[in-house]
Amino acid sequence: MNDTQKAKTNWIMGAAVILALFILPFVLARLGKTGEFWIWVTTEMIIMALFATSLNLVLGFGGMVSFGHAAFFGVGAYTVALLMKKAGVNLIVALIAAPCLAAVAAAIIGWFCVRLIGLYFAILTLAFGQLLYMIVFQWYTFTGGDDGIHGIPKPEFLGPINYYFMCLIIFLICFLVMRMIVNSSFGLSIRIIRENLDRAKFIGINVRRYQLINFIVAGFFAGIAGGLFTELNRFAQTEFLHWSRSGDAIFACLVGGMYSIIGPAIGSTVLIFLHIFLQQLHQSLVEIWALILGFILLGVVLFAPEGLVGLFQKVTKKSET
Amino acid sequence: MTFGFFLFILINGLSQGMVLFIVASGLSLVFGVLRVINFAHGSLYMIGAFLAFSLSTLLPAGSMLSFLVLLLLVPPAIALIGLGLEIPLFRRIYKKEHLLQLLLTYAVLLILDDACRLIWGGDIRNVARPEVLAGSIEFFGMFLPSYNVFILIIGPIIALGLWYLLYRTRVGNLIRAAVSHPEMVGALGVNVSRVMTGTFMLGCWLAGFGGVLMSALANIDLSIGMEKIIECFAVVVIGGLGSIGGALLSSLILGLGVSLIQLPLSRAAIVFPYFAMALILIIRPWGLFGKPER
Repeated sequence: MNDTQKAKTNWIMGAAVILALFILPFVLARLGKTGEFWIWVTTEMIIMALFATSLNLVLGFGGMVSFGHAAFFGVGAYTVALLMKKAGVNLIVALIAAPCLAAVAAAIIGWFCVRLIGLYFAILTLAFGQLLYMIVFQWYTFTGGDDGIHGIPKPEFLGPINYYFMCLIIFLICFLVMRMIVNSSFGLSIRIIRENLDRAKFIGINVRRYQLINFIVAGFFAGIAGGLFTELNRFAQTEFLHWSRSGDAIFACLVGGMYSIIGPAIGSTVLIFLHIFLQQLHQSLVEIWALILGFILLGVVLFAPEGLVGLFQKVTKKSET
Repeated sequence: MTFGFFLFILINGLSQGMVLFIVASGLSLVFGVLRVINFAHGSLYMIGAFLAFSLSTLLPAGSMLSFLVLLLLVPPAIALIGLGLEIPLFRRIYKKEHLLQLLLTYAVLLILDDACRLIWGGDIRNVARPEVLAGSIEFFGMFLPSYNVFILIIGPIIALGLWYLLYRTRVGNLIRAAVSHPEMVGALGVNVSRVMTGTFMLGCWLAGFGGVLMSALANIDLSIGMEKIIECFAVVVIGGLGSIGGALLSSLILGLGVSLIQLPLSRAAIVFPYFAMALILIIRPWGLFGKPER
């Protein structure tokens, strides 16, 4: 199979998946109570796929390990929660404000963080993320502290199915924009910084500025995911900003495959599905979820560092030869 | 605020800092030699604390002898767990990229923490202090809790011991040589991977030792591992990765800082390690005593 053919099959597969995703809620709606539950779950999957894909701009393409990405998810979530609950703003305006504020937060945090590389970058993002978490956790009068913010109003027209479509369309738009960014000259510069920092400097790329812009863009999309997630749950809580949520997104990237644009979305979907599947199978399996996750992660790190997408590519390549 | 009360806060902060130093020096040592930041280090410390608790229920309570038995038995047990982690897992990733190393140790953290929860459950526990150390010592007319004083004596002994081991013995020479020129050391006929395993075990031993000391200093529960690993990150970042002296200084700064801030602003105290870490990373990323890498 040559490259154009490959691109063609990719487009066909993509179109088929999107079509299936548009038909899915109508099928699920016929299933009654369980169907409603699964619509909720698929909506969550879409939102988390967006979050993981946004992280991958920094992690997979930029080669910068960020443990603080949940901070921007949280900023988006709290922006929507506070604007809708306290200021009475409508959903659309809140959803526009969320990524903008998240991008501002990313600009401030990123300005410090891109001064460092590798391990130090990872630790500094962790520190800033946790600082923000602590602030939200302690500031009862504004953010509700560990109680969070509950009872976020729901617009009339937004039933579960409509909300599903809204999230799906937003996801598709964001996904295509991110794909464009990755394939643009900017995206290529980001990748060359990942591959060889010194060489990138020598050929005249302003490394810090490119990394900062990349960090802000990733924060922007994480903010959208956070806002959507708040409206889905109709509450915002401190757990949204905790660094274990950044950890979850990193898992999703790793399991799916972080050197491809679609990998993180696949990884995040697979992990959420697995979690719910185990829950349905037996309640006690969820109690050892962290244990299971740990072993999955071990397996991926040791045997398949390119994730599911990498495995898939290996398998298809083998069948050709 | 009376002077006696202030002194009590001081002693408490310093002894918390000492325990932190013992745990963090293990993390720093492992990083220095293996170039891997071990996320699971805090979990090993926690397992040490819980093992001490379990063992203490089998021994006669309150006797100094049984506490010494804990200090003698638990850290080697943690070192053995370390051996069980290093050979099948850590050894495979020394040459891989940072991200995979971080994630592997993160996976180990998840597994160990969950295993800990399954074994010991979520209850808050502690180990009874031996009677000799349960009271207080009179010091220029002031009464200091003797267990804290005990920790303040143990901490510097550990620091001195580590310094002696690293800079005055052949083993230490090997470890330091393996840090800077692993190929050369290997070419001279030293089994480098054995040196690495040994160092990793020593790091785990320190984590276990800190765990035992902590189990009688304060209450222990399932959150202490995560708490400690973040504090340890702060310590090694502030002190400089791989520097024992830096780790000692920054542990004491953190311990003191947290307990002093706790007085007027109890809520702000937990932010302090993050804040200090972020600050030092911005102005001096290689830490107080570290050297710039490039």
